[in-house]
Amino acid sequence: MKHIREKIETKKYVLAFVITVMVFFGALLISNHFSETRIAEIRAVEDKISLDILSSETQFALLKESSCKAIDHSTAFSEELSSLAAKLSYMENNLGDSDAAVTNLKKYYSLLQIKDYLLTAQVNQKCGIKPLTIIYFYSNKDGECMDCRKEGYVLTKLREEFPEIRVYSFDYNLDLSAVKTMKSIQGVQNKLPALIISDEPYYGFKTAEELEKIIPQLKKLRLEHERAAKAAATATSTKK
Amino acid sequence: MVETFFDSILYVFLFFTLYLEVVFLITFFEERLKLGTEKLKEKLSYYPSVTIIVPCWNEEKTVVKTVDSLLRLNYPKNKLEIFVIDDGSTDQTWDVVQKFSKHPQIKLFRKENGGKHTAVNFGIENSEAELIGCLDADSFVDKDALHEIAAAFNEDPKMMAATPMLVVHEPKTILQKMQKTEYHMGAFLKRMLSPLDAINVTPGPFSIFRHEVFEKIGLYKKAHNTEDGEFALRMQANHMRIRNVHTAQVYTSTPNTLYKLYRQRLRWSYGTMKNTLDYRFMMFRREYGILGMITLPLSFFGVFIFLYNFSFVAFHAVKVVIEKAIEISTVGFMFAIPKASLFFINTDFMAILSYIFLGLGLVIILNGVKLAEGRVSASSGIFYFLFLYGIVAPIWFIRAVINVIFSRGTSWR
Repeated sequence: MKHIREKIETKKYVLAFVITVMVFFGALLISNHFSETRIAEIRAVEDKISLDILSSETQFALLKESSCKAIDHSTAFSEELSSLAAKLSYMENNLGDSDAAVTNLKKYYSLLQIKDYLLTAQVNQKCGIKPLTIIYFYSNKDGECMDCRKEGYVLTKLREEFPEIRVYSFDYNLDLSAVKTMKSIQGVQNKLPALIISDEPYYGFKTAEELEKIIPQLKKLRLEHERAAKAAATATSTKK
Repeated sequence: MVETFFDSILYVFLFFTLYLEVVFLITFFEERLKLGTEKLKEKLSYYPSVTIIVPCWNEEKTVVKTVDSLLRLNYPKNKLEIFVIDDGSTDQTWDVVQKFSKHPQIKLFRKENGGKHTAVNFGIENSEAELIGCLDADSFVDKDALHEIAAAFNEDPKMMAATPMLVVHEPKTILQKMQKTEYHMGAFLKRMLSPLDAINVTPGPFSIFRHEVFEKIGLYKKAHNTEDGEFALRMQANHMRIRNVHTAQVYTSTPNTLYKLYRQRLRWSYGTMKNTLDYRFMMFRREYGILGMITLPLSFFGVFIFLYNFSFVAFHAVKVVIEKAIEISTVGFMFAIPKASLFFINTDFMAILSYIFLGLGLVIILNGVKLAEGRVSASSGIFYFLFLYGIVAPIWFIRAVINVIFSRGTSWR
């Protein structure tokens, strides 16, 4: 009775195998393609920021003698840096922190932050403004900094609430001489998360409320924001 | 390192699963012209005599409806007899069926309780018909079902058993709607296994056998409360052809609560694994065709693969939930809402593979719907199946694996 059973058509199952291999590697290729596109996107943003910083620096050099208000180094710029930070950390999560392309982008990003930090400091000094900057050292290494993720959320929230704040975040373990110099200038110890606010180091997790206490200007800013929001609301209601 | 190791195992499993999906879809392509859902309109050249056995144990509520559906079958009255066998019911079943005692097509039997398979065996021993089938008292047949099956037997003299298309009867709860889609998918897979001679179960509701099958390989025997599975495997071991007739529809009631579903599925998955172990000599043997190479390995190892993939997904889901919870507790709900941006759509290798699986899975489900209902239509069941099945199925699979390891039997109810 054995002849009754359908024979295994080897050809069909080999074909299925070939298709499966193609789909499998197709998925791999597509995934790599998207990663590359993203890395290119981040690089393009970084290049743009680099150009902006260079432009601001040049503007600063040109206008040394005149009014400081003419210097266009706006808060929109800080937002650009922060959205870049979100994209970078996403890529780092997806491709792993050992990925060479991601590490390079991160180094580039850190350098841009330092340049922006220096420029902002110079502009503020000239115009006599008290700087509103937070320098943040974190670590992604497993088990090295349990609170860094939480601190990251707090800083993102603050940055969203107060676009005037400039948050510069650095991976404590990043192998880049400029970052190492930054660490030694600020005298940061390996007790993460570490925040430098007005040249004063703060170690350990700080909530948004604690940070608002440390930076008293935030209260004023909040009031200003609320006043502006109210004004906008009345403007729209009178329009109606 | 550890993560890479577990990831690699997952990739191997995903590759196999994808391979199976591709095999099914190629078979679908080969079979595409034979998948019409139109019923036969013309009369058959020959009507084989048929006995349908209705085993009942405490089925006072449903048995009349089941028998009525059999009486409505589009089949010559003198060729169809119905055996209602009361397997020692303790409720009013015997009294309820007395209304059929004078019916010329119906014979009533009453025996001591011995389990469903003993009632069916009792019927088989008392039948002289050419075709013998059984219909559980919780199921109802479409009026053309027997006509379609008889036509298939006429067409293929080597076919020894026919399995019908099982459809969920009036799904009401979310779990029943989920099962409806599950049955649709099962219907598609059964239909694809059919031409490959790789069906491993002849389900209780309305599987029909040639009389000679029982003469050659004997009657049903006790087999981990899944006698239907054991019988199909015994037929396969004897190289007897089992085919699926997708135009023969049978409506079956499904468990409406999680506990009832758990009990039923635990019995099924435990029984399937145990029967597969009992017939393991066919596994990976080329002479048993695709049954030996795919169906049997899948019905045993599939559970482990499913559970592995499930734990992987669950592990990552829990991780995401914990992270989100930390984020919400740190900055509040409003700030934890993710920003919508194309940049953050997951295009990992694993994610893209999942999209492909989901896509192919939907193709299979929708073709199952088409096979069962004659047209493609989206229903809430598909949604429940995709999002709920992965969560509930591990409950019985884990228990079934534990029971198999410690050889703990299951009960019928």
